[in-house]
Amino acid sequence: MEKDMIVRAENVDFYYGSFQALTDVTMAFEKNRVTALIGPSGCGKSTLLRLLNRMNDLIDGARVEGEILFEGRNIYAPEVDPVEIRRRIGMVFQKPNPFPKSIFNNITFAPRLSGVHRKSDLEALVEESLRQAVLWDEVKDILDRSAMTLSGGQQQRLCIARALAMKPDIILMDEPTSALDPISTARIEELIDKLKQRYTIIIVTHNMQQAARVSEYTGFFYIGKLIEFGPTEKIFTNPSVKQTEDYITGRFG
Amino acid sequence: MNAAAPSTSLKWRYFRQGLFFGVVRLSAFLITATLLLILAYIFMNGFRAISWDFLTLPPTDAMTRGGIMPAIVGTLYLTVGAIAVALPLGVASAIYLTEYARQGLAIRILRIGVNCLAGVPSVVFGLFGLGLFVVFLKFGSSILAGALTLGILILPTIIGASEEALKAVPQTFREASLALGVSKWRTISRIVLPNALPGILTGSILGIGRAAGETAPIMFTAATFFTAALPRSVFDEVMALPYHIYVLATAGTQIDETRPLQYGTVLVLVALVLGIDLVAILIRSVMRKKKRW
Repeated sequence: MEKDMIVRAENVDFYYGSFQALTDVTMAFEKNRVTALIGPSGCGKSTLLRLLNRMNDLIDGARVEGEILFEGRNIYAPEVDPVEIRRRIGMVFQKPNPFPKSIFNNITFAPRLSGVHRKSDLEALVEESLRQAVLWDEVKDILDRSAMTLSGGQQQRLCIARALAMKPDIILMDEPTSALDPISTARIEELIDKLKQRYTIIIVTHNMQQAARVSEYTGFFYIGKLIEFGPTEKIFTNPSVKQTEDYITGRFG
Repeated sequence: MNAAAPSTSLKWRYFRQGLFFGVVRLSAFLITATLLLILAYIFMNGFRAISWDFLTLPPTDAMTRGGIMPAIVGTLYLTVGAIAVALPLGVASAIYLTEYARQGLAIRILRIGVNCLAGVPSVVFGLFGLGLFVVFLKFGSSILAGALTLGILILPTIIGASEEALKAVPQTFREASLALGVSKWRTISRIVLPNALPGILTGSILGIGRAAGETAPIMFTAATFFTAALPRSVFDEVMALPYHIYVLATAGTQIDETRPLQYGTVLVLVALVLGIDLVAILIRSVMRKKKRW
């Protein structure tokens, strides 16, 4: 059966000024699956992730070549509005970054700006998003409290809820648990497992066990190149490239 | 090494530390004391001149009697006008410089220019205002010309403070907002700017103090020696506190007789600036309480 690929990177090169951060990356991400990107620091995995929702646009002197096709359309085509892309491809960052607003307003901030105004709609959206992020029970009575008062793990789940409130198709996660304790990390991982039924998730992680636990596919990057990409089980048990094996077994990186 | 050596060097280090702290403490004390001394001196000499009449009447009898009401009103108009000109313009410039402009040589030069502008003597601004607003644009010596001149004078301060305040807003807020599919302008107006406002207000406070206290820029552009009437439009000349002080202290015919009035006027000017600052500080602290990260 033909797999449903929601995003494809085709021969992507990426430069920060004269430094080439990615070289000829070609890979496809399957819908409603979790794909993990692993590799040592500076290997380009986060760069690729940020290319997928055009967050690298913000960097002066950055240049991308090749194509990134989202549902068949090149998101770097001149007529594409990056704002529109980012609405459909959400992102969760390494460090929880809630706004200094109430929990409620954190979630409703972006939906309000894209046209949701009815109070009942907003309330429903907040509950739905928080439930999906498994945070509802903890915060349902303190929705008007500042998000800054939540614990790190709660803040990160709030950031996930905030991304979910825009009803994206894809959620990009950039080391979402690296700033969290093991218990919070476990909760986020359970959450990822739940979310993949409705969303496509692409996660960058430094934690090899995490990649093995949460993902169906894993791509291994090294010095800006995609070294190996395949089903997670195969990458972790029977990699076909020596570099991958060395990295996974902890011989370098 | 014997056992005594480390303990001597420890003592020496404590001594050095104590000495350094002492110097630092003394500097802080000296500065505060100087300020308090000046304020106390002004208050002691000035408060006797303060009365209801002094605050509500125009000067009479060749400035030796009466009050300074037109000057208070004039300075208020000029200061508020200057802020109204400089704040939007300054914040907009700062937004451009920090958020939109591509950082490079051109922007560096622009920034150096802004900083240099902050160091230009105020009398130069006065002459510029005279040339541009009073003469060329035919505003005449007026509130409008004076407020615009003062506005330009405090613009660099406000741009600088606003830039710092905008830069202090964590980059992660911008990323979070943009990643939600919020446009750049809305990210700036809804997230960055509200979080930068307390810092921007701090800059404005400095600006207010300067705008209210400067004499040279308004001498040629707005201030008049004497008028009993209050201004009826922005094209009217006004009396202003700093200029009035200058007039009383140098240009009168009975300088000694006006001395109590001089102190009184200085006290009112200082109180006015402190009052405006206090309002800004209050607004800022309320905002800070709401926005915390």
